[in-house]
Amino acid sequence: MPSGALSDERDVREAYAAHAGELYGFAVRSLGDSGLAEEAVQETFLRAWRAGARFDPQIGSLRTWLFAILRNVVIDLGRARASRPTVAEGGIEPTVEPFEEALLSWQVEEAMRRIGEQHRRVLLETYYRGRPYAEVAKELGVPEGTVKSRVYYGLRALRVALEEIGYDD
Amino acid sequence: MTTERCREWRESLGAHALGRLPEEERAALEAHLEGCPECRAEMEALAGVAQLLPLADPEHFGTAPAPPPSLADRVAATIRAERRSQRRQRLRLGLAFSGITAAVAAAALAIFVLPGGAGGNPEQHIAFQSLPPGLHIGATLEPHAYGTEIHMYVKGAPSGTLCRVFVRGPDGTRQPAGSFRYRWGNDSDAVLSAALDLSRTRAIGVRVGNRTFVAPVDSGGTA
Repeated sequence: MPSGALSDERDVREAYAAHAGELYGFAVRSLGDSGLAEEAVQETFLRAWRAGARFDPQIGSLRTWLFAILRNVVIDLGRARASRPTVAEGGIEPTVEPFEEALLSWQVEEAMRRIGEQHRRVLLETYYRGRPYAEVAKELGVPEGTVKSRVYYGLRALRVALEEIGYDD
Repeated sequence: MTTERCREWRESLGAHALGRLPEEERAALEAHLEGCPECRAEMEALAGVAQLLPLADPEHFGTAPAPPPSLADRVAATIRAERRSQRRQRLRLGLAFSGITAAVAAAALAIFVLPGGAGGNPEQHIAFQSLPPGLHIGATLEPHAYGTEIHMYVKGAPSGTLCRVFVRGPDGTRQPAGSFRYRWGNDSDAVLSAALDLSRTRAIGVRVGNRTFVAPVDSGGTA
């Protein structure tokens, strides 16, 4: 096998250690099924290994490359499901969101997990639950102005986290 | 220029980006933004983040699901198996299958005989081919005194699909070899058995849902 970033099993193991968690987290989010997500991650690393020679770190990061492969795997899984004969005894099948949308959702959620608990909490309470700032301030035992400033620093932290994850607007 | 006054305004920018500033504060802030390019730039950056928030589902803000520890081993095993089969395929392609065209290969076949099985009848690895995209079926057959042990591997069918396995003897008669259900996330390697000896087994088939797939078995002496 020609020299590439993933040309031997050790490279794959290292890539797995560094990125499998994220790939799996996203696959679960996108496919809605942990078993299918495991298959998707397994297939992603298999394809990455097969195409290892084609990976060029000069063009993009390993992470970006793996996500691009996962994208194809997820699309193939969706296609396989669509073209399959229907089976009377088949179970309920999870739906696949359009990939880009699912990736964006996952990126925002991953960024939310990365910011501080205080910031996440005020965004959750005031934005997602739509609660008044005064009520949240009272519950947290802080002045209302603090809630407001946490919303501000929370959004800023979220922006930095999104950049780390690879979101580019 | 950023002033102390800007700092005070800045802390309201988040609430403003999310549309939560009371009317009179909003009017005053907008008046400030009008004359302050720095605060305006900051406001635009926050608005970009704010518009992404509806995409996220707060149900997923908790700990991200982690892959099961066994997945790392399975990935490594898959790659090892792939490397072995590539090696064998290269070997076999140069020998027996060199003349087979794609048209002939419609129904089946890639049969690998494990090295090291000199003398006895070795286990056979069978990969079903010409399958619908996404579906993978493989089998390993092992000779036993009672007949043949079958390790059936299915991947990519709908979860819960009933898989019925059969083998064919020299005269083409079909003998059932048991059934299993394919489940996502579970080990899809089902262990079954048939009374037919491996040396007399000419083909193995599996009915996955309502479609049947058959692969020839290279039994006895021809490998």
